[in-house]
Amino acid sequence: MGEPLRQPLEPRQVHAVSAKRKWSSAIWKHRKEYLAISPFYILFAVFGLFPILFSMYLSFQKWDGISEMTFNGINNYRFMLTDPEFWKAVRNTLLIWIYSTIPMLFSALVVAFLLNASFVKFRTFFRIGYFLPNVTSLVAVSIVFSTIFSNNYGLLNYIFSLFGLNPVEWLNHTWGIQLAVSFMVIWRWVGYNAVIYLAGLQSIPSVLYEAAKIDGASGVQSFFRITLPNLRPIILFTVITSTIGGMQIFTEPQVLVGNDGGANGGGLTIVLYLYREVFINNYFGYGSAVGWGMFVLIALFSIFNWKMVQGSGAK
Amino acid sequence: MIRSKNLLLYLGLILGLIVSVFPFYWLAVMATRTTPEIYSFPPKLWFGSHLFDNISRVFDSIDFFRTLLNTLFVAAASTVLVLFFDSLAGYTFAKFSFPGKKWLFVLLLATMMAPAQLSLVPSFVIMAKFGWVGSFKALIIPGMANAFGIFWIRQYAEESVPSELLDAGKIDGCGFFRLYWNISLPILRPALSFLGAFTFIGAWNDYLWPLIILNDERKFTIQVALASLNGIYTTDYALVIAGTLLAVIPLIVMFLFVSKQFVSDIAAGAIKS
Amino acid sequence: MTKTRNCILCLLIVMFMLSGCSVNSSTPNQKTLTLWYWNRGLDDKLIQAVQKQFPDVRINAQKIGGDFKSKLKTTLAAGSSGPDIVAFNDWVTELFPSADRFYNLYDLGAKELEPDYLDWKWQLGVTPEGKMIAMPIDTGPTALFYREDLFKQAGLPTDPEEVHKQMGTWEDYFKAGEKLNQAFGGKVKLTDNIGGIYTQVNAQSDSVYFDKNEEFIGETPASSMKKAWDLAVQASQKGLLANTNSFTSEWNAAMNNGKIASFVGAVWCKQILMDAAPDTAGKWRVARAPGGDGNNGGSFLAIMKTSKHPKEAFEVMKWLLNPDNQVTAFKDVNLFPSATKALDAPIMKEKEDFFGGQSTGDIFTESARGVKPAYFGTKYANLNGIVSRELQAVALGKNPETAWNAALKRVKKELLR
Repeated sequence: MGEPLRQPLEPRQVHAVSAKRKWSSAIWKHRKEYLAISPFYILFAVFGLFPILFSMYLSFQKWDGISEMTFNGINNYRFMLTDPEFWKAVRNTLLIWIYSTIPMLFSALVVAFLLNASFVKFRTFFRIGYFLPNVTSLVAVSIVFSTIFSNNYGLLNYIFSLFGLNPVEWLNHTWGIQLAVSFMVIWRWVGYNAVIYLAGLQSIPSVLYEAAKIDGASGVQSFFRITLPNLRPIILFTVITSTIGGMQIFTEPQVLVGNDGGANGGGLTIVLYLYREVFINNYFGYGSAVGWGMFVLIALFSIFNWKMVQGSGAK
Repeated sequence: MIRSKNLLLYLGLILGLIVSVFPFYWLAVMATRTTPEIYSFPPKLWFGSHLFDNISRVFDSIDFFRTLLNTLFVAAASTVLVLFFDSLAGYTFAKFSFPGKKWLFVLLLATMMAPAQLSLVPSFVIMAKFGWVGSFKALIIPGMANAFGIFWIRQYAEESVPSELLDAGKIDGCGFFRLYWNISLPILRPALSFLGAFTFIGAWNDYLWPLIILNDERKFTIQVALASLNGIYTTDYALVIAGTLLAVIPLIVMFLFVSKQFVSDIAAGAIKS
Repeated sequence: MTKTRNCILCLLIVMFMLSGCSVNSSTPNQKTLTLWYWNRGLDDKLIQAVQKQFPDVRINAQKIGGDFKSKLKTTLAAGSSGPDIVAFNDWVTELFPSADRFYNLYDLGAKELEPDYLDWKWQLGVTPEGKMIAMPIDTGPTALFYREDLFKQAGLPTDPEEVHKQMGTWEDYFKAGEKLNQAFGGKVKLTDNIGGIYTQVNAQSDSVYFDKNEEFIGETPASSMKKAWDLAVQASQKGLLANTNSFTSEWNAAMNNGKIASFVGAVWCKQILMDAAPDTAGKWRVARAPGGDGNNGGSFLAIMKTSKHPKEAFEVMKWLLNPDNQVTAFKDVNLFPSATKALDAPIMKEKEDFFGGQSTGDIFTESARGVKPAYFGTKYANLNGIVSRELQAVALGKNPETAWNAALKRVKKELLR
């Protein structure tokens, strides 16, 4: 039997003797909840735990993927922290995250809001149009975008030339590469996030808006008083998933500028760096260390963003 | 005045739509051209005449319909399982309280933060131990309850499933599972449509893991088969793009179908609450 | 509503049951050989013919695209069984430390085939300890591709032999580039990019980064590393480069629009060029490369230790790669032979319209015979990546001196890892 949320269990000031029994009885009492969430944890224990422990172990080893492993102490981590390329990758990843995520989530919110508005017709059509980029496989996307952003012969520069503008050598500059990658991210994920927001918007009971209207609230007021607060869990979801996804960005820069990250390594992101070190340079142990470094970064960044979204709601 | 404001909004929407659809349009254009035409500059922006030629070459090069069926099976199985397990778990996280919940949830989120490239080798080791290398099981089962979907359902259910409704259901004598199946699931349907679409697309377009796992050309999924068209020295892009386009069409049809679920269901959910 | 959900439930059960099924269709007496290769890495028609040639063998040939190496490395790292026969590209040396994961082909009878193949190519598959882990498929002899019409307009020689005579060294080739710059006001560049020159100079050399003991030799006079670097930098500073990365859409357009007058490339560039620059058909010619003959690319076949049928695998391999079938593979999918007898086949002398009726096969076979045996070392790709990144920076304006020192410093750090 389920227990609705409002009375959380607080087994705090109990004696040590009865504590154990109390815990086990509490767990028994909630067996159905545990059963309901168990598949994930079982799968994690079977398929997820070993890779994590293994990579933890591996991060202290020297291993080329085939020969014998040798213990390497903290050298992998030391190498990582002193490798300028690693820090370049961190900086690139953060910059690309900022250039892409903020415009992406903002536009997605606007698109969702418009598609939810009663005056807009052909909504299904718009939804499909906006979601189309997310459906398309990255192979296709890579071919299209490398043609668009090509230095002298790209479509974008072709359009510039029609207006008498000078061509921009996008892929010869760090900023150009990062802009192109960010654009790819925005292009692929606006529709996706818009659909998420749309689902959230539609779950807000229309009674709330009607009540607000009766109270004489304007559209803008009801947006801030009803829409945003009710949408907060959804916004939190998009912020956290785009934080994690953005920090793990890999395929976009790889297909656009290759495994080296292009001119001056402008497109070298952390996962691209990791991929290069593991699958091209054969440093499996070092790659694991980078993976753990990355995990820490993502965790910190996620906590920060979580607090930001939650905090802005608390006022 | 309101009219003109709406017009402006429409214009904005349409502009965004053009940006969204253009690369896809161009993809379709490229699928109708030869490889040298694809490379040409200035770019050719209108349809050519090689579509059927390219498509027939796709059919000659790979067993397209078999790979399509394989992909459909993997994607559909993954989607159904993910929807069930994730919605159950996500809803439980959102609406119930139990000891250790907070930390279990933090653990769940943390598992999303490890890059997939990192666990490629150890995951493969596990599959080899289970004897699942070459089997669809390796593509479906490890991901059938995933953190992403549970997190999503939890966030959605938090606001949309009213606790009062659950209380009422309990008074009516609904058990835990019936509260989930009969009361909460209908409300969660927009969220499920999204999760379903996203899981399906993800499984459909998944590439690296199936490439590593699958060992028989008859079991290849569509992306693995398409990748096999890349030549060692040269790649016939007209062929690859035509194949890619063909592979996207079922997804669009699927989304067309799911997308309609978004709106109509909200009404149904609203009535119930 | 409930109906849909029940349907889904049923579907779920059916799927669980289905996922237990598996495909199996080899007859009991057949031995199945799994083969991993790339599209156009072997001749598909020949692979199909294997069934006829060897009735007791069923070949399960899998084309692995894109991330071939990731798949192979994951399989090797997991220590689990992989295919029977596997293709390698020119990164074969990276697998030398794991030579014991593959059959020594000398043990299976490869020794007697050795005289039939180009020696330098054959040696690329043999470890310093003398174990042969990989057998040659094709080669990538290099030559100079050039635009006859553009050379003519710039007052340069146009006949392949003349071109080779006047541009026998990289320095002479660069002089021709300066002439081109004067004639076209910089609108037509001699060649594509800085990395291309670096790669090609090294491709002509017999010692680049490592000797057979895996010692770094980049700073010794025998190594071509510094020489290749200096030449590449020189070309950049003289303004001879179009700065378009090889085989990108940018490169294709530059080729088709006549912005690049020549480049040194392997024989497999022919197809790329034909696809990229159809408008320039008939205007290209091929001459022996400045600086000498070289090799770039070319693949191998190996047999994994986990294979249960090494003898059969070797027989199949031997047949697939015999001189006659190399000629067939050249005809069907342009795989340039590694067997000396195949190089003499009449088809190698066919005239090609794209090259104005020239028989480029003549040039490439000569080049293939002229390549020097070289040892690349297991960390070749790592070092090449480091140097290429620094060279790219030079092309974008970094001081060459600083870049060279940075590259060397980084290389030394890399060697200690």
